Amino acid sequence: MSSVDKSSSLHQDNPSLLIGRNWIERLLVTFIANHTPQCREVVRLLSQSMEVKLPITTRIKLRFHFFICAWCVRYEKQLRALRKIATSLPEHMDDICPEALPNSSKERLKQALRAKEPN
Amino acid sequence: MARSKTTTLQRKRIHPWAAGGSALVPETVCNAARESSSNVNPDSWIEQHGDCLYRYALIRVRHPEVAEDLVQETLLAAVRTYANFRGISSERSWLYGILKNKIFDYFRKLAQEVSFTDLEFLEDEMSHKFVDQGWNHERGPTHWKPDPEAALDRKEFWETFRSCLDKLPVRIADVFVLREMEQMDTAQICEALRISQNNLWVMLHRARMALRECLELHWFERKPRLDTQTNEQR
Repeated sequence: MSSVDKSSSLHQDNPSLLIGRNWIERLLVTFIANHTPQCREVVRLLSQSMEVKLPITTRIKLRFHFFICAWCVRYEKQLRALRKIATSLPEHMDDICPEALPNSSKERLKQALRAKEPN
Repeated sequence: MARSKTTTLQRKRIHPWAAGGSALVPETVCNAARESSSNVNPDSWIEQHGDCLYRYALIRVRHPEVAEDLVQETLLAAVRTYANFRGISSERSWLYGILKNKIFDYFRKLAQEVSFTDLEFLEDEMSHKFVDQGWNHERGPTHWKPDPEAALDRKEFWETFRSCLDKLPVRIADVFVLREMEQMDTAQICEALRISQNNLWVMLHRARMALRECLELHWFERKPRLDTQTNEQR
């Protein structure tokens, strides 16, 4: 993250809370960057956090990382959106899967069932 | 042929009561239909629920033949166990329940034949996104607009979602389906698919990463282009 503050043009593209506008921010960004996991690791942890509760120290580190990285914040939000999409899928079954059981298969199924019918 | 068989059956059933009082008829017909398993009418199940069951299976197993087989197995099991069906739940949800178990069994059996560990996936594909320690600013996650909630009612969105799901490597998609769509417990999935918890996490991580990326590219960022594409296809 320390590479960010070298080019001022990047500041406009960076929506993070702390981007190193002045020396205090630069110091904070460097400090947080050095003491929290890298983005690559953060996204892995975020996915894991949807399965198990992460240790409190890891959760605190992630919170601090969010101060300096808007992309990981978005990533987390989008993971939750993705879960919501997947869980609401059954309600939209007709939209996602318009295929019907082919008529030939229906007939085949009827035959198969009639053969097994107990009467 | 099936039709005529049913109608004679129904006529036989209705006949003794028909003279008694017309008000009684619907209820008695209903009870008679549940009386014993030999009166089951699987033909009507296929007509009424066949498409729904097939869709339910198809979206999860993604192979038409497998989905069809699962529907068949479900209906066969339903015929066998119809005596246990007390009509507390609706017929359809009862059939869904059986199908759900059949799908789970299918994955369990599949895991005995093939390995579900697919760790190569995405290893290199995603590396261009990260620069040194952080996200590449031009390629990091964008702000999703419009709101994902609003997309849920759009048919085109679900088409996009499905095509994204189809792009995942099969085993990764299977794991995602079981975890996020079926909302199965991670321990259950690990046991059924014979993978370690760590591998499951990695696979889910990769699935989410790829799906997020795909949705961003094909829905949230490039929606206009996608619309023209679908129009052309029509």
